[in-house]
Order: sequence, then structure tokens, then C-alpha cells
Amino acid sequence: MPSVVCMVVDDTPALAVEGLTKRHGSGAGAVDALVGVDLTFARGTFTAIMGPSGSGKSTFLACVAGLERPTSGRVLLEGTDVTGWDETRRTRMRRDRIGFVFQDFSLIPYLTAQENVALPAKLAGRRAEKQAVQLALARVGLASRAEHLPSALSGGQQQRVAIARALVAQPAVMLADEPTGALDSATAREVLRLLRSAVDELGQTTVMVTHDPLAASYADKVVFLVDGRVAGKMAAPSVDAVAAQLAHLDQLVGAGR
Amino acid sequence: MKALAVRSLRHRYPAAVATFIAALLGTAMMASFATLVESAFSAHEDDRELLIIMGGVVGGWSTVIVLFSIASTVGIVAEQRVREAGLLRTIGATPKQVRALIVYEAMVVTLFAAAAGVVVALAGGPALFDALQRGNLITSASSYDASLASPSMAAGVVVVVGTVAAWISSRRATRGAATFSLRQAEVPVRRLRWWRILLGALLIASGLASAIVTITVTGKATDAYAAMQTSGSASIVAGVGLAALAPWLLRVLATPLRPLLSGSGSGHLAVQNLTRRAGVLAGMLAPVIVFVSTAVGTLLMVGIDDRTLAAAGDPEGVGDTIAMINAVVIGMISLFSLIMVVNATVAVVVHRRPELDRLWRLGATARQLRTSVVLEAVVVAVLGIGLGLLGAMATAVPYSVVRHEGLVPNGQLWLPPFISAVAVIVTAGAAWGAQRRAAR
Ligand SMILES: Nc1ncnc2c1ncn2[C@@H]1O[C@H](COP(=O)(O)OP(=O)(O)OP(=O)(O)O)[C@@H](O)[C@H]1O
Ligand SMILES: [Mg+2]
Repeated sequence: MPSVVCMVVDDTPALAVEGLTKRHGSGAGAVDALVGVDLTFARGTFTAIMGPSGSGKSTFLACVAGLERPTSGRVLLEGTDVTGWDETRRTRMRRDRIGFVFQDFSLIPYLTAQENVALPAKLAGRRAEKQAVQLALARVGLASRAEHLPSALSGGQQQRVAIARALVAQPAVMLADEPTGALDSATAREVLRLLRSAVDELGQTTVMVTHDPLAASYADKVVFLVDGRVAGKMAAPSVDAVAAQLAHLDQLVGAGR
Repeated sequence: MKALAVRSLRHRYPAAVATFIAALLGTAMMASFATLVESAFSAHEDDRELLIIMGGVVGGWSTVIVLFSIASTVGIVAEQRVREAGLLRTIGATPKQVRALIVYEAMVVTLFAAAAGVVVALAGGPALFDALQRGNLITSASSYDASLASPSMAAGVVVVVGTVAAWISSRRATRGAATFSLRQAEVPVRRLRWWRILLGALLIASGLASAIVTITVTGKATDAYAAMQTSGSASIVAGVGLAALAPWLLRVLATPLRPLLSGSGSGHLAVQNLTRRAGVLAGMLAPVIVFVSTAVGTLLMVGIDDRTLAAAGDPEGVGDTIAMINAVVIGMISLFSLIMVVNATVAVVVHRRPELDRLWRLGATARQLRTSVVLEAVVVAVLGIGLGLLGAMATAVPYSVVRHEGLVPNGQLWLPPFISAVAVIVTAGAAWGAQRRAAR
């Protein structure tokens, strides 16, 4: 539990990137996926990242999570520069400080729902607290499915297990890459409500990449990327406003080529 | 579908390689023995029997192992296509088309491999014949005389078995509704099919029957080699029978290990994978069982024979050469089954690339992944050794009894631990090498 003093004084953002640049390949065939991106994500906020296909959204998440090493720039996780960390340290950071939700659910097929949720702790060599695991599953409405293997769960249920897994360790940030991309709209709404409630009730800082204006409307703020650059921001996004902005951005990309 | 099959082959290189290696080496071995049988027809009368025994009996043993290995490898590969099959079906491929894709692919690969195997056998057959002749087991009156017919027949059998095995395995990929199979993609928890249980039980029973016949009938015959003919195949047949039940055996035997291993993160992953995905990892277990039971059983038999032949009466005075030829041939069969261990292990582990990648994204360190994969391989190897030694007893014990060495042979007791060590090292080594390529 953070003390009151701590909460007042400590306004370090949960996540910040400075001049983040990522170049894939080299020479004539090089692709600049990110070009000098500066962004700050305050604690307890829910940010959506949007942009045309190929604009660098997934690359951004990968760099933040330490899956890829940025070409230049810095990634600050709760004020700590993690950019230069070696593979092992970044892996530990991912396990202990970051919660991940992927489009393809990324559950381990031979582990039950509760074992999947307990996996990061298990990998860290900690005994996962049974209660915390149960609580996380209950939070996503799957307490009764704890013993099921992923193959016995629907897509929406699998994604909710993945969210429980991301939340259980109370990570500094939760990263979600098109978490509703593989779901129908009703199930997607359920998942989005869960993400929203994690932000509101647990103060979970969340960054979500999405193509869907509806999904983005659940966030506090939308950041638009085009060709690896920040092309705009929108607070309190509505579905219509986001859709209009996206259509505009698509024109920008077309004009740029 | 044919064009698609050929295209998809290019993308599934490691899996195709596994089938190719099994079919190539298998055909080479089977076809070499087949040429001996063909040569027997035109051989001198005195040599006919030996050529037929060598080609037919010993060749028969190797045929059992070869066909099992090919069916097993094709099964691993088809199993790995369940997900892709679900995907194809969601975009409108009929189950029949999907099965055709899998079957056609297996047929193309085994066809090319078998053709290459025939070429190898065209050199291997004469070499085998020459060795028999130089060992004075065949008179100089006979000469190697085989056309393309016998190797081609062996090749044909390999292709047919590979294709049929693919056809049977492909059912799994297309059972159920399309979306269902996509979702179920990863761990089909299913029981062994009845025919497989029956096949395994029959093979084990026939191995036991050979053992009993050896003690009660052929062991008492005047011909010193009668016992060898019934006894030699017992461990091979029993081993293949146990291997046919591998998925079930793995699940049952690995379950008690849960508390033992699940302490660490990597052990936890390993043991869950072993028990819940026994169907997949059984592809690794089967060749280990066959290797250990074949190598230990038959090599112990050769050793016993060597020590006791004089006492048993060696009318023709060819004991030494028979022992030598036996050692070479059995060495060859053992080597083949050892290569199949590597083949299957690599095929199983390489296919786990997406899953290992997923674990890595979730925060498993490279070292944890490595430990987990190798640990799994070691557990599979140890279980395979236990079962293999059980199978080996079907040959070694009766033969030892009929040659008056008692239940336990008098010599070569270093052999079981040695073969076991080879099995563990090779399985774990192959898994380690394969995960190195699979992980980043
Ligand atoms: N490993 C790689 N090698 C080369 N180029 C890459 C690699 N990964 C991504 N890129 C390129 O970087 C750019 C950004 O890719 P990224 O995956 O981040 O896009 P995205 O915004 O997530 O797109 P989408 O919405 O389609 O998922 C693209 O032009 C892509 O082709
Ligand atoms: Mg993307």
C-alpha cells in the first residue's frame, strides 16, 4: 500500500518514452517504424494508441515491453531508464512490472486458466498466492472456470483469462495490443469494460493499441501515430470523433506517398 | 490442393525433413535386405537358406522398425497441422480437401525419399552380400543378383505406409466443426483409438509369445539358431507394441512426477506439458522405447550367443562370422532407431517455436525455456528407457535361459546402462539443439 505522502509527492509517470526511434533493417531497405516519439503516461490513466496499418503501434509496444531494443531514445518505467538493460533484466521486468494482453490471447495451451494466471509468478520462482489468483479470475468473471484448459474456453473467456494474468501482479503498466481484434462486438465490449474497470477501480495504468473507434472511446485519451510519428492526441474521445480523425489520417498517409 | 500442398511444403521445411529422413533411411535399409532375398532365387542351393533368413528374418525385423518409425513421424507431422487445418476450413476448405492436402504432402515427401533410398540400397545391397560372402557364409558359387524390382517393392511399401499413416492421422485434423477445430487447435485431449490399443496389445502379446516359444520349443531344438530366430524379434515387436501405446503410457507414468518437478518455473511448465500434451510428446517417447528395447535386447542376445555357442554346438563352425554379421546388422538397425530418436525430438521441439516465443513474451527467461525443454526430454528419455528395458527382456531373458545362463545373462551387463546413457544424452542433446534454433 502506498502511503498518503507517497501518493501526493510521487507524480512520476508510470511510463514515459523520449525520442523513441526504431529502425528495422539497414541501408536502402530500412524501415523507420518509429521516429522520435515522445509520450508520457500518467499513473492510473487509460490511453489508446491508434493509427493506420504499419504506423508503428505494435513496434511501440514491443519497445516499451523490451521485446525489441529501440534504435535510439529512452523508455522510462516508473522513472527508471530501462532502455539499456540486458535481455535477462528486460525479461524480468516484463514478468514482474508489465502486464501483457495480446490479440491472440497468448494463453499457454497446456495450462488451466488459474495456472495461466499464476504463470508469471511461477516463472519468477514465487509461489503464486492462490487467493490473488482466485481474486483476479473472479474479477474477470471466471472464478468457476479456474480448472479449465484454454481449449475449453470461448475466445472472450480466453481473453479475460489473459487480462486476469496481466492484472494479478499489479504491474506498473498493462499493455494491450488489439485485445478485442479477434472478438465479436458484444464480447469485445465486455473485455473493454473489464479494462476500464481495472483503470477506475485498481488505478491500473493501461496502454491499448486498437483499430476500433469504439474500443478507443473507452480510453481517457487517444494518441494517433502516422508513419512512426505522433500525429495528434484527443482527450475524452467519442466514437464519432475518433472515426473522423482516423479517416483524416488515412488521407494524410495517402498524400505522403 | 496439390499445388497448395507443394507450396505449403516449402514453408514447413523442418517437418518435411523429418519425414524425408525417416523414409530415406528406412527404405535404404529395407531395400538392402530385400535384394538379398531376390538374390536368393538365383543363388547356389547351399546359400539359398541363409540369404532368405538374412534378408527375410533380419530384414523383417528392420521392416517392423522402419514402418513404425515412418508411421510415427508422419503422425507427428500431421498432428502439427491441426491448427492450420482449422484455419483452412474456416476459409472454406472441405474436410476432404484438407485431408487430401495432408495425405498428398506425405505421399510426395515419402515418394522422393523412397526413391533416394532405393539409390542408396543399390550400393548397400551388394555391400551386404559381399560381407556375407567374405565371411564365408555364402559360397563363391553365388553372386549378387538383384534387379530394381526388390528395392522398388520396399520403396513402394514405405510410400504406402507413409500415405496410409497420413490418411489416418489427418482425420484428427478435420474432425468436428471448423471453428471448433480452430479453437481446439492446441491441445486435443483425446483417448487412444481402439485400433491402436489393439495393435499395441497384439504386438506386446506376440513378443511375449515369441519369448515363451523360445523357452519351450525352439530352445530345445537341435539347430542352435532356431532359438535366435524366434527370440531375436521378441524385443523388437514388444518394443514397437509399447511404443504404439506411448501417449497413454506417457500420461500415466508422468503424472506421479508432478509434485517432484513442479517446484521451479521450468519444471512446472515441463511437467504440465508432459502430462497434458502427452499425445504430442509421445512422438518423442516412441522411438526411445524402440531404440532401447531393440538395441539392448538383440545385442545382449548376440553376446550370449557368442559366449555359449560352443556349448550349444556349432555344427557348421560359422558362429564367429554369424556373430560378427549379427553385430553389424543389429548395429545398423540400432543406429537407425537412434536417428529416429533425434528426428522425432527435433520435429516435436522445433514445432513449439510459437509457444516458446509466447512464454518469452510473458517473461520466461531464455534459460528457463531451455531448462524446461531439456527437462521434458530427459523425463521422456528416462521413461522410454524403463519401457525399452522391459521390452528388451522379451529377448534377453528367454535366450539367456535356453543358453543356460539363467534369468540374467552372464556378461555384457554394462550394455543396458550404456544404451540408456546414449538414449538420455541423444534425446536431451537433440532437444537442446532444437530449442536453440526454436528460441531466439
Ligand atoms: N521485423 C521487422 N522487420 C522489418 N520491418 C518491420 C519489422 N516489424 C515491423 N516492421 C515495419 O515497421 C512498420 C511498423 O510496423 P508495426 O507492426 O509497428 O505496425 P502497426 O502500426 O502495428 O500495424 P498494424 O496496425 O497493421 O498492426 C511497418 O512498416 C512494418 O512493415
Ligand atoms: Mg500491429
